[in-house]
Amino acid sequence: MPHAPFIIASYVIAGVGLTWLVISSYISMRRAEASAAELKDRP
Amino acid sequence: MKPKHQRLLLAIIAVAALVGAGLIAASALREEASYFYTPTTLVAANVEPGKAIRLGGMVQKGSIVRGGDGVSITFTVRDQRRSQKVAYRGITPDLFGEGSGVVADGRLGPDRVFVADSLLAKHDENYVPRELADIDMSAAAKTKDTLVP
Amino acid sequence: MHRFANPARFLRIARPLTPALFWLGLILTLAACIWGLFFTPTERLMGDTVKIIFVHVPAAWLGMGGWTGIAIASIVQLVWRHPLAGVSARAIAVPGATFAAICLITGSIWGRPTWGTWWVWDGRLTSMLVLFFLYLGYIALSNASSNKGDTSRVAAVFGIIGAINIPIINRSVIWWESQHQKASITLGGSSIDSAYLVPLFVAVAGFSLLFGALVLMRMRAALAEMRIEARMRRMAES
Repeated sequence: MPHAPFIIASYVIAGVGLTWLVISSYISMRRAEASAAELKDRP
Repeated sequence: MKPKHQRLLLAIIAVAALVGAGLIAASALREEASYFYTPTTLVAANVEPGKAIRLGGMVQKGSIVRGGDGVSITFTVRDQRRSQKVAYRGITPDLFGEGSGVVADGRLGPDRVFVADSLLAKHDENYVPRELADIDMSAAAKTKDTLVP
Repeated sequence: MHRFANPARFLRIARPLTPALFWLGLILTLAACIWGLFFTPTERLMGDTVKIIFVHVPAAWLGMGGWTGIAIASIVQLVWRHPLAGVSARAIAVPGATFAAICLITGSIWGRPTWGTWWVWDGRLTSMLVLFFLYLGYIALSNASSNKGDTSRVAAVFGIIGAINIPIINRSVIWWESQHQKASITLGGSSIDSAYLVPLFVAVAGFSLLFGALVLMRMRAALAEMRIEARMRRMAES
C-alpha cells in the first residue's frame, strides 16, 4: 500500500483545520474590537 | 463560613465524588471494555466454540505456515502465558509478521483452532528507525505491552 | 487571584502576547512539519506513515488539554466568580473541538495503512470520540446563554463533569486490551527514538503556542462583544 497519500491527507487536514481556526478567530476578534472601539467614540 | 469557602468545599466534594464514580465505573468495565481476548483470558473466559469473538496477541516466531494456495495461513498467537493456534484465509496486513502484534476477528473451531475472518495488525508503542531496528531490537523488546511473551 | 480580574489589565497583557504566541507557534509548527515530513527516518514496521505522528499527537494533546483547561476555568468560575474564567473556558471550546477532530481524522487515516482499518471501537478510539461529542455539547450549551461573553453555570458544571473522560482516555490503553498501542511517552521516559521524539516535541510546542494565541483571540473577541452589549444597554436605557 503506498503511504504518501495517507501522509499528505493527514497534513492537509491538520493544515486546513488550523488555518480555519486562525482565520475565523482573527476575523471575529478584529470585527468585535473594531466595532467596540467605534461605539466607544460615539457620544 | 464565607460563601466563597462554601463553594470551594462543594466543588471539592463534587470533584471527589466524580473521580470516585469514574474509577468505580472503569473498574467495573474492566473485562467488558477490553477490545479482544488474549490467549490467557480466552481460556479464563471459557468461550464456547462458534461464538464470534476477537483474539489479540503476538505472532510467535517461527509459527507462520503458509498454505500451497497462497491465501491460507496458520500461525500461533501468544501472550505472556499461553498460546493459541489461528487459521486464516486472505491477504494479511502489511505489518503482519513474526513477532508483530495482531488482532483477529473470528471464532473458535471445535478443534480449538481459532478461525479468523479478518486480521488487523497491532503496532506496539516503540518507534524505532528502520536502520536502527536490527541493532536496537532490545528497545523494541522492552515493550510494556502485556502481549509480549 | 483577582489581579487579572480586571479585563483592562488582561487586555494590556493579551494585546502584545497574541501576535508573539502566534508567530512563534507558527514558526515552530512549520519547522516541525518540514522536519517531520522530510528529515525523519522510515520506521521499522510502519514505514513512512510514522510521519503522521507529528500532527496526530499534538492534536490529541491539545484536544485533551483543552478540556482540562475548560474544567479548571469552570471550577474557578463557580468557586471564585472570576470574571475572566467563564470567558476563557468558552474561548477554549471551539479550538479544543477542532483539535480533537484533527486527532480523530488523522488517527483514522493512520490506522488504515498500519492496522488495516479506518476505525475500531476500542477503548481509546471510543473515549476520544466521546471527547469530541462532549465538546459539541459544551459549545451548544455555552452558546445557548443569551449573554455573549458570560458563560452559564450549566455549561460550567458540564465542563467539570465532562472532565472525567480525560483520565479515561489516558488510561484506556492500560485498563483495557485495545487496538491502539500503549502510551509511548510516560513520566518514566519515552519509547520513541530521538529521531522522532525531538521533532515531536517541537510540534507539540508549536501547536500549543498557536492554541494559546487562538484562545487569546477568542477571549478578546468575547470581551469586546461584552463591551458592545454593555454600551448598547446603556444607550437603550438613556
